[in-house]
Amino acid sequence: MKTGFGRYLATGIVAVGILCLASGLAAQEGNSQPAQPAKSKQQPLPPGGPAPRTADGHPDLSGVWFGGTAGGFTYNPALRRQFDAKAEQPPQFQPWAAAKIKSMTQTDYELGRASVNCLPRGVPGMFLINPYPFQIIQTPGLFAQLDELNNNFRVVHTDGRAHNPDPDPSFDGDEVAHWEGDTLVIDTISIDERTWNNFTGWFHSDQEHVVERVSRPSMNYLNVVVTIEDPKVLAKPWTSTPHVWTLGHEDLLEYYCTNNQEVEQYKALKEKESGGGDKK
Amino acid sequence: MRRMLYGGLVVALGLLVWAIPAPAHHAFAAEFDANKCTDLTGTFTSYEWQNPHGYFHLDVKDPNGTVNSWTFETVSLSTLKRSGTSRRDFENAIGKSVTVRACLAKNGAKNRAAAETIKMPDGQIHRIGQDVEGKFSQY
Repeated sequence: MKTGFGRYLATGIVAVGILCLASGLAAQEGNSQPAQPAKSKQQPLPPGGPAPRTADGHPDLSGVWFGGTAGGFTYNPALRRQFDAKAEQPPQFQPWAAAKIKSMTQTDYELGRASVNCLPRGVPGMFLINPYPFQIIQTPGLFAQLDELNNNFRVVHTDGRAHNPDPDPSFDGDEVAHWEGDTLVIDTISIDERTWNNFTGWFHSDQEHVVERVSRPSMNYLNVVVTIEDPKVLAKPWTSTPHVWTLGHEDLLEYYCTNNQEVEQYKALKEKESGGGDKK
Repeated sequence: MRRMLYGGLVVALGLLVWAIPAPAHHAFAAEFDANKCTDLTGTFTSYEWQNPHGYFHLDVKDPNGTVNSWTFETVSLSTLKRSGTSRRDFENAIGKSVTVRACLAKNGAKNRAAAETIKMPDGQIHRIGQDVEGKFSQY
């Protein structure tokens, strides 16, 4: 017992430092408190000059884009603002929808999440709840978005054509796009009802209509503003604050979602929370 | 008897006084208990290098000397690789002693935890998990 106690005592008093990539901090041992991480020296990217343009005169949205203002991966919360709910008005739900969401537990949220189920984020989740970078490849008349997450992609015509009159529901929906000045406006209907618009139960109906306004105010920045109409679920249309993405200079990685053990873990947690027994 | 069974872990938990965990809103905090985090030292035996989460396994001796195989969950490979942890780091740790800062599964699953950090055999500490305890919020 004393041997075990001693081992855990020794382990317990070893401070856990944080390897900060930028500073390369080493571990500090012998302290009873975790080593203090260095303040991040990362700064937001500068604007970087005017946005490039394609041959037809529109802004060229092409590039690899990371959420936030870091221009790459960062743990620094100040540089990852794309999910900052404080700055954004919450959606106003129809009473029945609000009640349904309120009845969900945190575990229900997790069990319904695309990430847990290895499902596509779809539209507009690939902008609203996607922590991973994506690549845009734009040519005259075409907008292609390649998501690192799940290796999902979408290709949208930007020539102002009309919606398919009888589209099948799909994760990315029936998408058409046109330019309004320097902003690409992507209009989407017929979105598969398995997608959520946030991490906490914002489900939608077959009447959901999404408008994504994508602009490149400067070389290094991409802004995305999303408007969601859904008269069955929402009491009124919801518009996001501008979600900021910044230009990275690295290739996307392969990210196929496979064998997420969380599904079984959350099911067990749900069972425990429902009084179905304490799994030991 | 109870102390014999859980002694080491309970003692370690009791000794560790961490800042009050900040509420988190991500999957790790939902699945793992920020109030049940501890340091576990053991032999790195194997790993699964896959998305959306990596996993690795340690053989950890309990206070009675019994060796238990623990499973630890990490963040995605995209995050691991971009934050400086490679598959080679895991490969090189096989058969060696490492120390993991880990938070236990809320569902009570035995010997299962989220890894926040791992101290590799070379002494380097890698952040490989989400911030279950809210320790990293200041940077």
